[in-house]
Parts: sequence; C-alpha cells; structure tokens
Amino acid sequence: MDELIYTLKQQIIEALNLEDMKPEDIDENASLFGEGLGLDSIDALELIVMMEKNYGIKLQDPAKGKEIFKSVAVMADFIAKNRTK
Amino acid sequence: MIKHQVYISPNEVKVDGKALAHNEKGSALLTELYRNNIGDYPKFFKMDTLSKLGFIASELLLNIEGNRSFEPREDRAVILFNRNASLQADTHYQSTIQDPEHFFPSPAAFVYTLPNIVTGEIAIRNKYFGETSFIVIDDYDEQIIMKNLDIAFQDPVTTSIIGGWVDCSDEEHFEARIFLMEK
Amino acid sequence: MTNPILITGCGVVSAIGNNKAETLDALLNNRSGVGPLVHLKTEHKEFPVGEVKMSDDEMRKRLNISDNNITTRTALMGMIALDEALKEAKITPEMIPNIGFISGTTVGGMDMSEQYYLDYVNNENHKEYIAVHDCGSCSEMTAEHFGKFAFITTLSTACSSAANAIILGANMIRCGEADIVVVGGSECITKFHLNGFNSLMILDTQWCRPFDATRAGLNLGEGAAYLVLETEESAKRRGVKAQAILSGYGNACDAFHQTASSPDGEGAFRAMKEALELADIQPDKIDYINAHGTGTPNNDASESTAVKRLFGENVPPMSSTKQFTGHTTSASGSIEAVFCILALQNGFVPVNLNWSQPMEDGIVPVHQSVKKELKHVLCNAFGFGGNDSSLLISKPEL
Repeated sequence: MDELIYTLKQQIIEALNLEDMKPEDIDENASLFGEGLGLDSIDALELIVMMEKNYGIKLQDPAKGKEIFKSVAVMADFIAKNRTK
Repeated sequence: MIKHQVYISPNEVKVDGKALAHNEKGSALLTELYRNNIGDYPKFFKMDTLSKLGFIASELLLNIEGNRSFEPREDRAVILFNRNASLQADTHYQSTIQDPEHFFPSPAAFVYTLPNIVTGEIAIRNKYFGETSFIVIDDYDEQIIMKNLDIAFQDPVTTSIIGGWVDCSDEEHFEARIFLMEK
Repeated sequence: MTNPILITGCGVVSAIGNNKAETLDALLNNRSGVGPLVHLKTEHKEFPVGEVKMSDDEMRKRLNISDNNITTRTALMGMIALDEALKEAKITPEMIPNIGFISGTTVGGMDMSEQYYLDYVNNENHKEYIAVHDCGSCSEMTAEHFGKFAFITTLSTACSSAANAIILGANMIRCGEADIVVVGGSECITKFHLNGFNSLMILDTQWCRPFDATRAGLNLGEGAAYLVLETEESAKRRGVKAQAILSGYGNACDAFHQTASSPDGEGAFRAMKEALELADIQPDKIDYINAHGTGTPNNDASESTAVKRLFGENVPPMSSTKQFTGHTTSASGSIEAVFCILALQNGFVPVNLNWSQPMEDGIVPVHQSVKKELKHVLCNAFGFGGNDSSLLISKPEL
C-alpha cells in the first residue's frame, strides 16, 4: 500500500501540473480539496480521467468523486479495491 | 493614452522599451519570468501557453503600474487580439482524443481550448469585473487593434484597458505586445 | 442611449427551423428539435443534441453552391441565416461594400478537419480544407458568398461570442464607425467539443431540464443567426423599418473560474445591470428574460441568484429555450436574440419546456404557454472565461 500511495502522489502531481511539489510534500491524510492542496472541480475531473487511464476504474458520477478524493490515503484504498489494471 | 507596454517573444522581454535580463528562451523563459516576477500563483502551471503568456505579460504590466491592491474593479477592460486563437491548447487537447486505443479526453486541457480563457485568467487574478473580449484577426495590425480599443472606451464605465496582441502557435513560438491604456 | 440602434433584419437556422417562420411555429407549438445524433459521425450516441435538420449537401443545394467548392458546416449554416437577414433588411449586393460583418464562432471549420485530419498527416488528400479550419476563414467564407463586405471581424469568446459580436457592432455604430453592421454567429457540433464537454461531465444523457430541480447537464446544439444593425437615419434613407430596437447591452467578467460560474452570479448580475443602465430602463419594465439557462446545476443556480439580486421579489417571466435547440454555444447569443425578436413581434413568452420541479433558491420559469404583449426583453449569453453578456431588445415604438 505504501508503494501505491507514493506512486499515486507522483501521478497526482503529474496529472494536475503541481509543478513545485514533490511526493514528500503531500500528506496522504490531508484533504485534497478545500484546505489541503486546494484543488478545484476541474482537478477532480482530471483525477477521474487519471484513475481510468492508470487503473482502469470508470467513475460515471462526478459526485462520487468527492468521497473518493477525500485524501490520498482514501483514494489509494479505493483504487486497491477496484483496480482492473 | 498608453501608460505602459510590455513585449515578450521567445528570445526577448521588454518593459516600457527597456530590455529585461533573462537566461532562458521559449517556454522555459515563461517559467523563468513567472518565478522571478510572480512566484505565488501555482495555478500558473495549469495554464496553456497562451494563458501563461498573457498572464505574465499582464503581471509585468501591472507591476510597472504599481499599487497592486487586488481590489475588485469594473472600470478596467481586458481586450486581446491574436491570429492563432487557442491553437496550442487545441493541439494539446486533440492529442488526448487522437488515438482510439488510448482515448482519454482531458478536462484540464479542454478548458483552455478557447482564446478568451486568458482574459478570464487575468480577470480572476486581479478581480476585474469589467468588459473582457477576445478578437481574432488575420495578422498583427496596430491600426485595427487601436481602433477597437478606442471603441471599447465608448462604454462610460471603462476608464482603463489592458489591451493588445497575445499570440501563440505552439509552446515555443509566441508573441505578446500589450498596453495599459487610460481614457 | 441617445440614438437608438435599429435591427432592420434577422435570420436564423437551428434545430427547430431553417428560417424564422419555421422557428416561430416551433416556439409557439412547443416543438423541440433535440433528439439523437444524425449528422455527426461519432461513437457517442448517448447524448441528445439539437442538430440542424439539413445535411451539408442539402445546405449547399439551397445556396446554389457547387460540389467543387470547399465548404464547412459552420459556414453553410451561417450563409443560410445571413441570406435571410440581408433579404429582410432589403440589402442588395451593391450595398455590401459599405456594410461591416462581425461573426462569432469557436469551432470554425473543425468539422472537416476532424474528418480529414489523418489524410493531412498521411497523404495529399483534402489539404485544401486546412486553410478553412480557423475561425477567421469561416467568417470570410460565410461573408464572401454575398460579396465584399467593408470589413470582416471574428470574435471568439465561447458561448457569448455572438452576443459580443452584436455588442461590438453596436459600439461601432455609436462611435460613427459604421451605419450598417451585420452581426451574429454560427457554430456546428464537432466531436472535439462533444468530447470536451463530456470530459467536464456537464452533458446530460437525457433531454435537458433548465431550472428544474433534477437538471443534470446540457444538450449541445448547433445553428446560426445574424442581425442587421443600423442607424435610424440610414433606415429612413433606405425606407426600411425596424424589426426591433437594440436598447442596451452589457458585458462583464465573473472573474471566478475558467469554466464554472460564481455562486452569487456576479458577472451575470453586472452584465444585466449594465444593459438596463445603458437603456435607461428600470427593472420593472422588463417583460421577459431569455435565460442562458443551459440546464447545468451550476449555471442555473448562479443565473437564478443573479436575476434575484437584480429584480428582487419581482422577477419577470423567464425561460430558457435551450430545450428547443440545445446549447448552440458560440451562436447562442444571436439565435436567442432572434427568438426574443419573434417573441416581441408576436406577443408571447417562449415556454421553458421539460420542467416540473422547482429548484431550491431558483427562479420558477414560465412552463405553460403565455400570450403577453412584450415591450422590453433581456437576452443572456454567458461564456467560459467568465465572459458574461446581456442584450436588452425592445419593440419599436409605433
């Protein structure tokens, strides 16, 4: 799981153009939206595309994204359970 | 009446006619200008090249004007012109839907496939609630640009305009010539 | 505004009609043109769209354009609408060199580029279409079918493009740059933006429901519309009457997000307020608002807030007509302006179709047919980049 979390952080940084960040800078339990990394609605959609591209998970309902993207840790957990790639 | 002007090309940066020193060229120059003159706006890295160019040019222009209060105002219009519309962003977005085997339309890329997003980015950064517009013309033409900016002053609300040419055909080929004009 | 700007002619083509007469009939009889995709060759058949009910071949035949000529769908629709507008305003070919043309589009000739892109890369076929891909060439192709206009300008500000073309034309007339300007926009559906809007997850797989509590997104549409703007003096000289008056307009920036609207509808509020102020008309004189009303959760909430801020307790009758045509993107500002002109001329409020449940904190739209004499109407068009425009169109005084 640690490896998945680290890889996920790298993929988030790449997908969202978080140019000045390194995986070490992201706290896996901090909220991604709102306070934490301050991501917005377009970032959420981009993460949905990233999950399909890298892990074969198709999310039809953007509202579900809110729960899954609570933090990197929550995201990793969801991916581990649902990945098809 | 033109108060200030900024010129940016892949090799050159001039503020009010004076050259600004830099080490990089092309897309790396834009990143260098961001780090040296702004540095506190991470959304910069999400922008397409046209928005980065327009954003940086406007920042250099506003820095030379001084007194950056970021207070909301509606009397400043942002009116820009170019030839290539949002071509670089369009190409980038197209690449995400080009391959039927690897088909992942990118929302973050699609957002920039309109030339007027750059006027939106400048307005968001500075809280400008006034007129914004983007006009596509055949080629750089100072007469057409100035005439249209004059027309914009017809609106009694508009007392000041960030206007001019912001064009980009790909990540390494771009040009900005923008002015800060007052009525 | 001291000198009124007359609208002496207009033309329209959309999913509900290939001209004004067909359009009026559809609006009066609540007949939507939204349905399954027919013309666009895409895998995404799950999205209802408002396609114009003519193939490119049919449009070419109508315009007497031979198969040897290169055309694009956006330009063809533009020509059909422009033809109707020029005829109504009694503009003859000899007058064209003294008239300006301002058009709004985003996709331009992209429908052909999508079809022939791989040819461009792999062989020499169809390379002539490369030159007509861009927005400017599309406006030129549309205009040149009728002669050599005094000038051709293209505006590209997303879904407010056509409305902004109308505003630019009006400003040019007001500062004496022109006596007559033809303004509007055109846009066809392409795979590029169908997929793009889908990636933003704002398309509905069902028929859209603007201002309804269950709304889930927009349906894309296509079409074109042009208006002939003219000074009173020029119209008198030519002996043509006004179909309507452009009494006011406003453009403001929402300055909130690249594609989403602010919760308090700041840009929309300011644009509408500016239009009223320019026209020197009080809110209680507005008889109808043609909303931007795309049917996305975000727009309808934001626009409702803006309208309530401006009109308080007394929100005028309001409806979206995007259930009829789909969201015609860059052309929507002029297409819906023509709908407003038809409403003014025929004394009715277009129905907000497919509505049953009021939104929380939203406006309650006109959901049943209403015959009403209208004097002043507002027409909203909001584009990505927070580019919000509003037009105030009035019935000419007799």
